[in-house]
Amino acid sequence: MGGQPVIVMEGVYKYFGDFAALTNISLNIEKGQKLVLVGPSGSGKSTLLRAINRLETIDHGRILVDGQDIYDPGINLNQLRTRMGMVFQGFNLFRHKTALENVTMAPRKVLKMSAKEADRRGLDLLHKVGIADKAANYPAQLSGGQQQRVAIARALVMNPDIMLFDEPTSALDPEVTHEVLDVMVALAREGMTMAVVTHEMGFARQVADRVIFMDQGQIIEEAPPALFFENPRSDRTRTFLRQILPF
Amino acid sequence: MIQPYKKRKIDQALARQEAPPPEKPVTIDIADGPAIPRPSDPGLYSAWKFVMIATPLIMIYLTTYDQIGGFIVRHLPEFFWRGNFLEDWALTERNAYRAFFFFMPDGFQVTFQVTLFSIPVAVFLGVITGLCRISRRRPINLAASIYVEVVRGIPLLVQLFYLYYALGRLITIPPLGSAVLAISFCYGAYMGEVVRSGIEAIDRGQREAALSLGFTPFQAMFYVILPQAVRTILPPVGNECIALLKDSTLVSVLAIADIMRRAREFATISYDYFEAYTMVALVYLFLTLLLSKLVSKMEGRMGSYERR
Repeated sequence: MGGQPVIVMEGVYKYFGDFAALTNISLNIEKGQKLVLVGPSGSGKSTLLRAINRLETIDHGRILVDGQDIYDPGINLNQLRTRMGMVFQGFNLFRHKTALENVTMAPRKVLKMSAKEADRRGLDLLHKVGIADKAANYPAQLSGGQQQRVAIARALVMNPDIMLFDEPTSALDPEVTHEVLDVMVALAREGMTMAVVTHEMGFARQVADRVIFMDQGQIIEEAPPALFFENPRSDRTRTFLRQILPF
Repeated sequence: MIQPYKKRKIDQALARQEAPPPEKPVTIDIADGPAIPRPSDPGLYSAWKFVMIATPLIMIYLTTYDQIGGFIVRHLPEFFWRGNFLEDWALTERNAYRAFFFFMPDGFQVTFQVTLFSIPVAVFLGVITGLCRISRRRPINLAASIYVEVVRGIPLLVQLFYLYYALGRLITIPPLGSAVLAISFCYGAYMGEVVRSGIEAIDRGQREAALSLGFTPFQAMFYVILPQAVRTILPPVGNECIALLKDSTLVSVLAIADIMRRAREFATISYDYFEAYTMVALVYLFLTLLLSKLVSKMEGRMGSYERR
């Protein structure tokens, strides 16, 4: 690795009222890297991820995407956001559009791509996530796992430099979780840069280059998965791991 | 090393812990205007059918009873108890109900004009107001909120007088114009609140997903949020339109000859007050029930994408 950093965060602070959601967060994500964020509920993992594409505004610090400060007043935020694909816990598919329309909407409206070309690309991507046969179905007619795969295709259609996954499997029935994880693993193998908030420790072990453990808005520990799971340095990490991997 | 089956169980337990609650469909029901007859509400549905059949039947009977033997039905008790039907027969029956209809056509026309001109203006004002009310820009939000507060705090009747007489000092507005202006100004505020709550009922995630794909906030609103909000907004907006039709009777206090005013004129001439207002009541009942069915039909068509 060691390529140029896609994301740089420097001394980021975020408050919700008096509550410090992020405290002095600094991290780099380099091209091709897979970063997995773990930690207890309310530890700020999701907030960190959402801060990267400015769905949450930060109170202090800097966030650079491809070397551009996302709070630079001269920046085209919408254009910048197209470089980051985001997958949400609740899928957030456009409910009034079919699976294919969900994927093709952004290229057509944002990139002004022709309907024909957008459809071709959309179908390619639906095929890639294994759901091309449901292209004409509305989200209400799809299972959670299918919806989340459409959501991944929708995020990929803009050819993002980095994919942000915000607990992509937390809202799924356990037996369909693997549908989505398989797609994510395949994506990782293709060399996509990824930042993933998840509770799927198996995924973290298999895919991550680095695991970050957060608690109370702070990065407590940052390590390769082997080291992180076998030999955590901090007590807090050890307690957390003991709670979720109890022995 | 952790055993795989155990690890899997723990993952699942954790995942369940943070899973969001299942989404509930949102409907906004506002109580002015007749209720929308949905098939899911069997009581109301059959009530609608009953009244919808009864109303035109009563109107047809009242306007024609003297011609198709209704006369006999009406005087049936007298035939039995008195037997002097010849005397009644001799009386020339003047059917005030039918006469009312012959008196009315221009009244119908005016009511339809007021309603049909007011609805698009009110809906337009409502959408603009609703969008301004959720704006994060203080002055825009404040202006829309003041509009809503002021309009909702003043009775429509007073607003009508105000526009007609008070503003009449400054500018001359034709009666129909001032009626349409006042009604749509008033209903624009009501509909603004409906539009606002309809937009707010759409999950925040929809907007976030659109923004994360590079949509501008404007595009997110017009391609993603509003098309979905229409489904929630439509029934209450339809209801407001029906309420608007009913409230259009208020323009009869101005020099506007709508159904209500023509009925009063008719009654003043013929002294058939009871007959005139019976017909007015039946006409409005028929119109509002017809419209409420129309709204329910449209509602069913709008939500097709949520069907599994």
